[in-house]
Amino acid sequence: MTAHEEGPDTSSTGREAPGGPAPAPAGTDTGTGPRATPAADEPDRSRRRISAWALGGGTEPDPRFTLANERTFLAWIRTSLAMVAGGIAVEAFTLELFTPEVRKTVAVLLLLLGLVTGGGSFFRWLNVERAMRRQAPLPLPLIAPILAAGGALVAAVLIVFVIWRPA
Amino acid sequence: MAGGPGDAPDRSHRPFDAGLQPERTALAWRRMALAVAVGSLAALRILPEVLGLWALVPAALGAAVSLVALIVSQRRYRRIHTILTTSDSDRVALSGGALPAALAVATVAGGIMALAAAVQLGQRITY
Repeated sequence: MTAHEEGPDTSSTGREAPGGPAPAPAGTDTGTGPRATPAADEPDRSRRRISAWALGGGTEPDPRFTLANERTFLAWIRTSLAMVAGGIAVEAFTLELFTPEVRKTVAVLLLLLGLVTGGGSFFRWLNVERAMRRQAPLPLPLIAPILAAGGALVAAVLIVFVIWRPA
Repeated sequence: MAGGPGDAPDRSHRPFDAGLQPERTALAWRRMALAVAVGSLAALRILPEVLGLWALVPAALGAAVSLVALIVSQRRYRRIHTILTTSDSDRVALSGGALPAALAVATVAGGIMALAAAVQLGQRITY
């Protein structure tokens, strides 16, 4: 997905100076463009190249969409944190309720879900950002079916436990 | 959203857009920091059974992540607001990905620590 195919502005790295003139094709290199606010840009100089590479060219999307993408990322992170906290809570606080096998299975499933959603949320954010920069359709979220299937699996384990529970 | 070239000073006193996107994003960062802080407190409550005094380490790491995220996101909000309300174009560079990457790495690291702690906890309890 190097994505330099479409859009009228593909020669630029897409990182124009904050105060710079509007859509100017902005030179060809990160280091040579005009900088309106050099003080604010100095610490970013090293990561700017990595960012430009990771974001894959294109043009800056509407800032509202970028911010919405960021909020969605944070919502995924909170989901991941909730899964991790839930896994730890199951492991620590359900001694009387669950058999050791059920407790371990549910806790590990929840923690793995937390890991996958937490790690996957960044790639989701990145893929959406790249698609928006290319005016391409947004990709489908892979972590959504993973979260759904994982949640259903946890529920299935608990259903089996409830049915077979020695009462 | 791009105004004329000469009217920059007035716009920085009001929100960038009617949908309050930067403000909502700043609040989302605060919710995330709050969730991390709560998770750290929970870790402090649960993990000493397994880790003893070492439970202070993940709790302190979580508290540090929460505090740093709070400060960074606040400064980031100010910067975004300034950029969006003073620039002539609204197609400006906002997010380079370093912040989401760092947060995702921290979350995964916390999850791995939690997984290790859960396995340890299970061994401690089930023998």
